[in-house]
Amino acid sequence: MGSIFTAAPPQSGPGYSFKQTPTTVPEGTRQHGFYPYTDNGGSTLGITGADFAILAGDTRSTSGYNINTRFAPKLFKVGGADSRIVLSVVGFAADGLALKERLDTIVKMYRYQHGKPMSVAACAQRLSHILYQKRFFPYYVTAILGGLDEEGKGALYSYDPVGSYEREQCRAAGAAASLIMPFLDNQVNYKNQYVLGSGEGHALQARERELLPRKDVEELVQDAFSSAVERHIEVGDGLQMFIITKDGIEEIYKPLKLD
Amino acid sequence: MQPTTGMLGEDGIHVDMDHLKKGEVNLGTSIMAINFKDGVILGADSRTTTGAYIANRVTDKLTQVHDTIWCCRSGSAADTQAVADIVHYYLGMYGITNDEPPTTQTAAAIFQDLCYDNKDQLSAGIIIAGYDHRHGGQVYSIPLGGSLHKQPYAIGGSGSTYIYGYCDANWREGMTEQEGINFVKGALQEAIKWDGSSGGVIRMVVLTAKGAIRHLYLPDNGYTGPGTYQA
Amino acid sequence: MPGFDFSNYNRNAALHAQGVPLPKATSTGTTIVGCIYDGGVVIAADTRATSGPIVADKNCEKLHYITPNIWCAGAGTAADTEFTTALISSNLELHALSTGRKPRVVTCMTMLKQHLFRYQGHIGAYLVVAGVDPTGYHLFTVHAHGSTDKLPYVTMGSGSLAAMSVFETQWTKKLTKDDAVKLCSDAIQAGIFNDLGSGSNVDVCVITDEKTTLMRNYITPNVREQKQRNYRFKRGTTAVLNEKIITREEISKYVTVHELDDPSVSAAAEKMDVDS
Repeated sequence: MGSIFTAAPPQSGPGYSFKQTPTTVPEGTRQHGFYPYTDNGGSTLGITGADFAILAGDTRSTSGYNINTRFAPKLFKVGGADSRIVLSVVGFAADGLALKERLDTIVKMYRYQHGKPMSVAACAQRLSHILYQKRFFPYYVTAILGGLDEEGKGALYSYDPVGSYEREQCRAAGAAASLIMPFLDNQVNYKNQYVLGSGEGHALQARERELLPRKDVEELVQDAFSSAVERHIEVGDGLQMFIITKDGIEEIYKPLKLD
Repeated sequence: MQPTTGMLGEDGIHVDMDHLKKGEVNLGTSIMAINFKDGVILGADSRTTTGAYIANRVTDKLTQVHDTIWCCRSGSAADTQAVADIVHYYLGMYGITNDEPPTTQTAAAIFQDLCYDNKDQLSAGIIIAGYDHRHGGQVYSIPLGGSLHKQPYAIGGSGSTYIYGYCDANWREGMTEQEGINFVKGALQEAIKWDGSSGGVIRMVVLTAKGAIRHLYLPDNGYTGPGTYQA
Repeated sequence: MPGFDFSNYNRNAALHAQGVPLPKATSTGTTIVGCIYDGGVVIAADTRATSGPIVADKNCEKLHYITPNIWCAGAGTAADTEFTTALISSNLELHALSTGRKPRVVTCMTMLKQHLFRYQGHIGAYLVVAGVDPTGYHLFTVHAHGSTDKLPYVTMGSGSLAAMSVFETQWTKKLTKDDAVKLCSDAIQAGIFNDLGSGSNVDVCVITDEKTTLMRNYITPNVREQKQRNYRFKRGTTAVLNEKIITREEISKYVTVHELDDPSVSAAAEKMDVDS
């Protein structure tokens, strides 16, 4: 405790000082701050179809109430020019970039050493290991990895910051994940939707889920983001979409609201 | 009565001032008042801050509490404005009920009363200066704890730490008005130069038998003008 | 007993000590501004209300009525700005009635600062007070702790820095009404686009000797875009597990029921923004 009244006037300058901040002498040990992480906001999402995978993310980067930039991509092609793997990272942008650099190098090295591209499944497991390696000083990111599996079907893997992962049909991550994910559950997996007149009350039959065509998925992604922008302050500026097919990775950019 | 937690420390004596500072508007200030041959001069910078942001760059920290009794405010803007408003009211009532203007000493005593009684709730460093026909010019200072000091000149605020030397070296008893203005201006220029929480224009008030005259000096022209106007 | 009810204070303090988080108040992480011009005074505000990072209201009103000739823009805790301005509005009307004079802006400012000072910053109202009275045009800022400033142009809220940068570069001594309105709305837009706490639309209020003009949604630069897909569900999509019909006769026991003559007239004050 120690305040301006502790010191008698002659010592330590004018003890009664007019100064704004009372110069207090710290008692005991002083705790120094170490804040290696920042949350840069934004949101990402991924959806797969029969022969494609779509990854999307907004391009706003924030800190607090400030916008760092209106265009900071969260989507990265991994493993060189002819790659079919896309990594999306949201959370702490600097860690995201570092993670992407690491994975990119590894996938490239794999191709040089084995003379064939890395499979998405292998890449997914490798990413999990990279994340878990830093179990006690994690990459502060939620990653989603997208591509085509060995049968040519859309593949999507989602991660937690320390490497727990799972293959899924669709996933939303980041600031507006809690806004987008229920929408995806309903519109992609038809959760809470029932077949009209198939029964009464609990006997009602759940609507069968089917793989969506690419056009529908693109529209869903755009609607998910234009809605998230309305209700989450850290999402906005631009929407970047990567569509992975056997023919390559297509990039689409759509402007979002700027407020 | 048990000391209230948050305001008084564990010993129940020392005041924890930090609780007052959260998001408060502060007068990070350089203020002073001096006696001269014919009266007193009050001076102040014009910067008000909330953290690193300058909330007002042309603040008037010289506040009138009676015709020729003024004060310089430093510390919390809210606290010092509230105190000055109360004293302004008391002195107004005093002037009416006694049919004679209050003395500077009376004003200073009211200020001290408020500052001392509420010391654990206020962060206010106030300098009172006035001219009355009984005592002429007088300068009083009330620092943080609520003590009262009659002084030939007083300096205050965060910027004052930088000008103890200047004032000590250049102070002379019985200066002329122009010498007094130059002294105050010179001191405040140094305080503004070295103290990050002080800045903007220099405001002054000269209190003599003739009344109150305001001065304004802008940084645009090296604090040379525009000069005086009637308060 | 007038004033606030503190009867839950001890319970909440105990709950908080056990780790129960305090409820989040809706804050108007806001941009509000004001500017005096030759024939009056203008105040403006954005219309976003937030609760943490979530937009609580996309089109809220931050311009508050005090008297016909005095208006107030509020930032900080939404409830505090709402109730504080309403309280002072009431007291000022009573004051005007008892004195038989038009209320003055300084009176309003003084009542606000004394009220806020009494509550030592616990009432989180940050206000821009503007008005016209027999003594002229006035513009003040009042901070939650009770300090006030008098300036020709002012900004407050989380977007105040963005807005002030517009004033500090564009403001001039001689301004027409249109100049002042443009300057204020530009300052608000700087907040809307550069401060995440501010967004949506611009509300403007112009007060002159003759009249006060409130321009609600003066600029709407953030209209919601059309959805790509149709999200209307066919009736029967959701499972109905239980059904109970309450007739009008039954509900009439508790409330009065009125038949609206024109079915197109909505009973709600403001129409909700929904997809077609």
